[in-house]
Amino acid sequence: MKNPFSNSSSDSVWYNLDLSAIVYPTLQRRDFSSVYRLSVLLTEKVDPVILQKAVDLTLQRFPTYKVAMRRGLFWRYLEPNNRPGPYVRPDIRNFCMPMSFHSDNRYLIRIYYYQKRISVEIHHSLGDGNGGMCLLKTLTAVYLRLCGHSISDGFGVLDINTSPSPGELEDAYMKYSNLKYKPPRPMEKAYRVRGTREPVHTFHVIGGIMSVSEVQKAAKRYHATITEYLNAVLLYALLQKQKSEFHLKLRPVKLAMPINLRRFFPSQTLRNFITMIYPSIDPRLGEYKFEDIVTHIHHYMHLYIEENYLRGDITTNAAAQRNPIARITPLFIKDLVVRTFYARVQDRNSSAGITNMGRLELPEDMKPYIDRFDIYMGIPYSSRTNCAVISFENTLTVNFASCIVESDIERNFFRKLVEDGIEVTIESNRE
Amino acid sequence: MSYCVNCGVKLEESLTKCPLCNTPVINPNILKRMEPTPAYPQKSATMEEARRHDWGILLTIVLSATAISCGLLNLFVFRSGMWSLLIIGACILIWVFALPTVIYSRIPIYFSLLFDGFAVVVYLYMISRVTPSDHWFFSLALPITLLVTFEMIVFAFLYRKVSHSFLAIALYFFIEIPILCIGIELLTRLYFAAPVRLVWSAIVLVPCVVIVFALITVLSRKRLRDSIRRRLHF
Repeated sequence: MKNPFSNSSSDSVWYNLDLSAIVYPTLQRRDFSSVYRLSVLLTEKVDPVILQKAVDLTLQRFPTYKVAMRRGLFWRYLEPNNRPGPYVRPDIRNFCMPMSFHSDNRYLIRIYYYQKRISVEIHHSLGDGNGGMCLLKTLTAVYLRLCGHSISDGFGVLDINTSPSPGELEDAYMKYSNLKYKPPRPMEKAYRVRGTREPVHTFHVIGGIMSVSEVQKAAKRYHATITEYLNAVLLYALLQKQKSEFHLKLRPVKLAMPINLRRFFPSQTLRNFITMIYPSIDPRLGEYKFEDIVTHIHHYMHLYIEENYLRGDITTNAAAQRNPIARITPLFIKDLVVRTFYARVQDRNSSAGITNMGRLELPEDMKPYIDRFDIYMGIPYSSRTNCAVISFENTLTVNFASCIVESDIERNFFRKLVEDGIEVTIESNRE
Repeated sequence: MSYCVNCGVKLEESLTKCPLCNTPVINPNILKRMEPTPAYPQKSATMEEARRHDWGILLTIVLSATAISCGLLNLFVFRSGMWSLLIIGACILIWVFALPTVIYSRIPIYFSLLFDGFAVVVYLYMISRVTPSDHWFFSLALPITLLVTFEMIVFAFLYRKVSHSFLAIALYFFIEIPILCIGIELLTRLYFAAPVRLVWSAIVLVPCVVIVFALITVLSRKRLRDSIRRRLHF
């Protein structure tokens, strides 16, 4: 029997927010949005007219990125946005500005250009770094094609003439959070960086550019991978900072590190599919040498980054969303509860954030036109610093983002790298 | 390109001081500056069928033991009245209600609801056997149970075959509720030999009619319907 109430036209398309995406709009403040930036540095200067054409062609292939945020009675949702835009614009110093859901024709994505750089800023509600990087790679490939170069598809460059597969649009959390047991999550307050907050709309970035082979060599000396080594360096920098300050009692130093779940679960989603792990060192147990920190992180990663643990973690997260009482609770009450929980518990659960996108792959015929990629985690929720790592070919970039005056953590971090024999070139937007 | 004398990092050309330690950059030289066959089968079996079967046997044994014990006690020990009928009827009722869940899961929902209604009728009839009169059973209990069963079967049919969207379910609900209320009021009035007219069920009927018209309007206008679905999804 035909369903008289069925709806199949494109007008009725809309998307539920995924498990991660539910939280980000709740935390929205005048001076904070969960916005991150992905940049690509080309070998030639960017032409904004061609870039705008590339954006218009590319975004049609990414329906979950060409959307507007709307409020329902119980949940927010994303609906296709057919207003004009988004338009490319010249880059600004204080990028990753908060993103209002009503400005910019309701788009939750911004595209900037500056000299040889193309930057894409994305609200985290739309997708994680992996999905965003897929968008940036495709946009860059389309741009280069419009410039007359021959670029193939693959390695994250999608064919813009095809329709998105259902797997690209799915909420992968709901698919894979299928354990009957919800493992409890230990929560302990971590050391918090107490920096001097800069005025609203100030955004500091300090980036370090280095050679992948040099970092690999240094990491190998400690029998660790690049991620383990860089995590250890950041923990070391935070421990030094805590030690240099006056504290009545010491607290564990913890990092909040997103894990790309696509490595463990076969999902093609371009939306969010990450979970957090919290590598930590507890200085109350005594002095830790750098070698001890690396060993500790190495074992922590092996213990926690595995399928069963991660499935348990997302099941615990998904339980809150599946709870029948939570589902029928009006949105404004949910917002209040989530915001309070985040500010009082979740944000205090880590001292800094670190993300490693890993080594980027591109089609061979695209590589000659690309110099490097950058990733920036955006304005932190509280007065602290966030670190984002990405590598392409033999260039590894580490970008710290903060909105505080002090840069002690960045200094401790890069000095340690220099001590370990890595040549670091520093770039910054600080005055 | 210069190095910071304090931190040892190389500084990008445009930097006039080290962003890490604020040490000014003074460079004396630059004063200006396929599908293989899997090893194991892909399809997994579940233990659900077997478990349901076990629960079904256990439930049948417990209920039949309870019913038989009470029946025997009523016959030979506590002979005052037919009290065991209430317990035997309750056991039958529970068994029939549990039939689709733990005993035979492939039974069509319409038969399952029909059996449930029949079991309630049987149970109420057993109760009427231990009460002084069975007039209430034939005048009230039987027709009301039949009406509820009929409405549930219609609801199940609409849900499965027409639409099970949130708004459609609300529409079925607000159509069936006033029908049930009118049915109950008319049957009650007939039972008590009162004049046949609508009083309290009319209070239920009016808002339900308004809601039904509103829902039909929403369901017939696609844009409005889509907008409400988005805003009320939970």
